[in-house]
Amino acid sequence: MKFSFFHLMPYPYLPDDFDEKYESSALTYPNANFDPQLGAALYARYLDELEYADKLGFDGIAVNEHHQSAYGLMPSPNLMAAALARRTERARIMVLGNAIGIRGNPLRVAEEIAMLDLLSGGRVDSGFVRGIGWEYFAHSINPTRSRARFDEAHDLIIKAWTSPELFSWYGANYEYRYVNIWPRPIQQPHPPIYIPGAGSTETMTFCAERKYTYMSVYAPTRIVRRWFDGYRQAAADLGYVPDPEKIAFSVPVYVADSDEQAHREARPALEWLFRKGLKQTPQMVTPPGYMSPGSLRGVLMSGLRGGGASSYEDLLANGLAVVGSPASVTERLRELYAELGGFGQLIGLFAIGPAGHDQIMHSAELFATKVMPVLRPLGVAADSATA
Amino acid sequence: MAADLAPADEFIELPGGRVHLLRGGAGEPVLFLPAAGGAGAWPSFPGLVAAAGFEVIVPDHPGFGKSDDFPEVEAIDDLVYHYLDVLDALGVARPHVVGGSFGGWIAAELAVHSPHRIGSLTLLSAAGLRLPEHPVADVFLMSPEKLAEALFRSPPAASAPPPGGPPDLDAVIAAYREATALARFSWVPYMSDPKLERRLGRITAPTLVAAPADDRLIPVAHARRYAQRIEGAAYAEVAECGHAMYAERPAEFAELVASFLLSHPLAESGASR
Repeated sequence: MKFSFFHLMPYPYLPDDFDEKYESSALTYPNANFDPQLGAALYARYLDELEYADKLGFDGIAVNEHHQSAYGLMPSPNLMAAALARRTERARIMVLGNAIGIRGNPLRVAEEIAMLDLLSGGRVDSGFVRGIGWEYFAHSINPTRSRARFDEAHDLIIKAWTSPELFSWYGANYEYRYVNIWPRPIQQPHPPIYIPGAGSTETMTFCAERKYTYMSVYAPTRIVRRWFDGYRQAAADLGYVPDPEKIAFSVPVYVADSDEQAHREARPALEWLFRKGLKQTPQMVTPPGYMSPGSLRGVLMSGLRGGGASSYEDLLANGLAVVGSPASVTERLRELYAELGGFGQLIGLFAIGPAGHDQIMHSAELFATKVMPVLRPLGVAADSATA
Repeated sequence: MAADLAPADEFIELPGGRVHLLRGGAGEPVLFLPAAGGAGAWPSFPGLVAAAGFEVIVPDHPGFGKSDDFPEVEAIDDLVYHYLDVLDALGVARPHVVGGSFGGWIAAELAVHSPHRIGSLTLLSAAGLRLPEHPVADVFLMSPEKLAEALFRSPPAASAPPPGGPPDLDAVIAAYREATALARFSWVPYMSDPKLERRLGRITAPTLVAAPADDRLIPVAHARRYAQRIEGAAYAEVAECGHAMYAERPAEFAELVASFLLSHPLAESGASR
């Protein structure tokens, strides 16, 4: 099992009347509520937390991209990855990912990831995401083009990294007469690719065909199980069994010395994350064309649109968060491992909403020293274990 | 005027798919390009216009109602060619063209592209112009409830969702499909073609520009700008009415449109280019 420390870099200072007054912490939530001084202090603190995770022995430290939102303060994950590249030594630097569905110029992503690969000595993992619904409003990108843009940008970036010679690109969304990037990445043929899945069978097949890592987004265990099974089936249809490492389970994790303390501290943090940070309207979640009508039907039937109403107890019971003492967290992750049919990577959101710096550092430390060593043997490919 | 002329339910085959349309009444042909809501219905407005002595043809736009998606119809210029194809398939050379809201935008573009194909032009609170000082409200971000409030000056009680009832999944999916089609054509530039305004001088057909006085979606400034830019256009506002126009005040809009059409018979109207 590989473990990574994922950070959203939230802006937790929402006003007391947030719940009544605002539909969301994103898109239309006025940035007059953002205090740049506090924001600067948050960046320093959050980067310290990611650097500490590297020192603690996490296999990866992960950042991602969000726009116009208090939910996540990283419009450019590559900038944060660059800051980390020079201050860390061991951990993979995971950009999970660049929202190539909303990029005007995806070649820029190929260039920046190649730069990061050099800066980090080949430690970069490159996630590609479509960008979430509200970001199609925020960056004025037609959501009906989302999947086509994502697919084309992906193909372009991979070719830009791997083509041995200059080429031209003529696509429905992008045209370049000269693709010839400098620098090229260190990792060959290119940095590992991570793709989040939320139920689309096209995405499962897309990942399985290319042996990309398929990572879950936050959803109840029974649904994530369906996704992981779908990915495993897509690989089986192609005639292979995926390396467990190619299946990554994402979940918020909070560890404290006792169960009682962990729940007392995690409850407000998780409630903030799911009720405030992720508060959004159905129109923001699924702008028109972001999903096919058939996929929307699936989302509506599984109750994933909108979200935000789950109780703390439901979040825990449904595997949307793992909280407790080191022993309880170990036990619960073992359970989830079994319920999900196995996975080889755990992408833990340790910095949850308004949880304090000391709490997060302690949680990560307990996890690294008491949970990781016990779970490490899980989710390792049989052939690599015997090799 | 009687509104009970039952329309015929028809499909026409184009290379890219099937177009569903309703056709009713007898007389000079009127191509009615409806707003983005209410596809496939024969609301009282087309019936009332038909009853005034016209053959009214109401197609569902690509991706709306019972028409196919026509995925290759990606933008407003494609819609113009789509409706030229529809006219050709119908064998209609030069009809009256009436468009409401999104359909009004298509009508204006059609008239700019092929002035000789338009017998008369009626724009009812048409989208299509880019007036940054009078932005069109963002229909894509509105909840269904907010949209109903924005559409009607006095929302009819029937438009309120049943309280506490389970949502009708098929209706939600159908609405999402139509919103997807609308977004395909109009997400960005939003509900407009920045080049349209400067091309309006190409229109040669007699033109009526009309708007509801209390339009909360497309400010009345848009209709006024259309009327300014189209030479000789008549201009009218319907009082105490929201953007739903012919749904909120069907009799007033039908009266306005029918009397304009009656006073501009096809034989006399419209220079050719």
